[in-house]
Amino acid sequence: MTNLLLKNIEKRFGKTEVIRGVDLVIEHGEFVVFVGPSGCGKSTLLRMISGLEDISGGELYIGNRLMNEIQAAKRGVAMVFQSYALYPHLSVRDNMGFGLKVRKVSEEERIRRVAAAAATLKLEALLDRFPRELSGGQRQRVAIGRAIVGNPAVFLFDEPLSNLDAELRVHMRSEIAALHKRLSTTMIYVTHDQIEAMTLADKIVVLRDGRIEQVGSPRELYENPANQFVAQFIGSPRMNILPAANAAMLAPNSTTPVTAKSVGIRPEHIAIVSSSESALRGKVALCEYTGAVTLMHVQLPNEQTCLVVHDKNEVPPPGSELGLIAEPANLHFFDQKGQAA
Amino acid sequence: MAAVTHTNEPGANRAPWLTLKYREMLEAWLFISPTFIGFLVFFLGPLVAIFYYSMTEWNLLSQQAAFVGLHNFNDALLVNPDFWHVVRNSVIFAVGLVPFNMALALTLALALSRPFFGVVFFRTVFFAPVVTSAIAWAIVWKFLLQGEGGVINQMLALVGIDGPNWLRDPNWAMAAVIVTRVIKMVGLNMILYIAALQAIPRDYEEAARLEGASRWQIFRMIIWPLLAPTTLIIMVLTTIGSFKVFDHIYQMTGGGPENGTLVLAFYIYQQGFKFFNVGYASALAIIMFVIVMALTLVQVMLRRKEME
Repeated sequence: MTNLLLKNIEKRFGKTEVIRGVDLVIEHGEFVVFVGPSGCGKSTLLRMISGLEDISGGELYIGNRLMNEIQAAKRGVAMVFQSYALYPHLSVRDNMGFGLKVRKVSEEERIRRVAAAAATLKLEALLDRFPRELSGGQRQRVAIGRAIVGNPAVFLFDEPLSNLDAELRVHMRSEIAALHKRLSTTMIYVTHDQIEAMTLADKIVVLRDGRIEQVGSPRELYENPANQFVAQFIGSPRMNILPAANAAMLAPNSTTPVTAKSVGIRPEHIAIVSSSESALRGKVALCEYTGAVTLMHVQLPNEQTCLVVHDKNEVPPPGSELGLIAEPANLHFFDQKGQAA
Repeated sequence: MAAVTHTNEPGANRAPWLTLKYREMLEAWLFISPTFIGFLVFFLGPLVAIFYYSMTEWNLLSQQAAFVGLHNFNDALLVNPDFWHVVRNSVIFAVGLVPFNMALALTLALALSRPFFGVVFFRTVFFAPVVTSAIAWAIVWKFLLQGEGGVINQMLALVGIDGPNWLRDPNWAMAAVIVTRVIKMVGLNMILYIAALQAIPRDYEEAARLEGASRWQIFRMIIWPLLAPTTLIIMVLTTIGSFKVFDHIYQMTGGGPENGTLVLAFYIYQQGFKFFNVGYASALAIIMFVIVMALTLVQVMLRRKEME
């Protein structure tokens, strides 16, 4: 069942075009992540869905209802802000119940729904505290709780984890994933962190310069990127892009399409062999030990650097010569315009 | 291992007690000494002196001073009926001015805190009177408020209203003084409120909007409570300012008509520099200090209670 439909959505600030004709279908209960570099328009798109930003062109439907001219409060959406936006003078209880209070929901019902949301997020012990008395993770949970209380049709998250430290971010990520499983409500999540996107999403929407570059599951985007931008944006460390001529040297059994201008290969898909065993040879320029793996920067004869994820204990010392090979299936070809060939 | 000695080290011959801590302290005192000396001579000195003068019967003309203890305070509080009349006027002035000033300042700030074409012009227009000479301001308004030929009354005449002689009519003089004072000073509080409004993250308002709050609910339930610290500061400063008002009264009404605008600061001036009762004027100044201090404390406590 379609929950959200974006038809040729546009946004202009004066003469500056920020969103340039976005078409997107989001099914009921999907976890959709908008991902892209800074300034790509992902937060603007989210704010347009929420109603906090006007729509300059196109049509937005939520549950088959045209929403362009509907007020934010009447769209059935709830948003978790990057800053959490918890009212500092209200307790956790009052923050969570604020929306119900302004909507004149009875006090009994308010207490019941706040208690239910607090139980879902294990916030019972914090209900009488003020935001200043909470840690970053607790504030985040309260912000999510405030969204849950309104029982919205769509949850919107605007980079909700970016203010947390790395460890807490991983923890909250799993909590949000668990929450989605429990509530089965449509969630739209904005992030610039592709790891967050990969781990949380049912569907990832990659944006660049106000346009959608590709929509698909994390696996689809990782395995079959539609273009060079998506190929390099999704996956960490980012994909190596080499001249198409290197493909045959890297994987002798591969077939290079006629239109291919470049070949992409992910660092984790390259294997190291002795220099006599491969036609593509290089010198180790730098090794970065990260614990589980070592990131090797290999200098190729054409002065390009190729990154290799090396998961063996023995790491060739910098300056040593080696050969690089890859499976033909792991090569991605791109044409002159950077589109998949 | 050979010991290394630095015989040419700067400050090698310095007295041992002159440690880094003391040197830095000396430097700090040296830097603040001009202000500190000014504070002692021009503020703390007169403040202490005024306490002494308040307990003397000192006539500036005869240059004779006699210690009279609390006689001046007794005179003001229990004997002289003028004092309570003046206090009453000061309270009326403050009660009329403070809420009016604050409400207008907040209204203007709400209208002018967000960017729109011409916002800087409007902010300048409302702030300009603050930096205008108080005497010049009062003179201009004195002309505008004249009974006959005054611009205000001429405009009222256009709609068939026969305006009073604003500054000579006992029923209107205080109101006229309050209104002109508010128009002069409202810009300062407006700027303070604008700064406070701009410091409130927009996310709060947006979150409230998404939750269904109306503009009024957003103001009442989010913005107004978050403005509380600024409101307290503004309330205290405006109250103190209203009790200290002098130049405005001096130029516009001279305390009249029928002592109807004779407020405390102007009364102190009259006693000290017109009738040369320095001792009595000093006692009045101390009483004013106590009143303002008490009012400030009450306001702080009330706001604190409200915020809890």
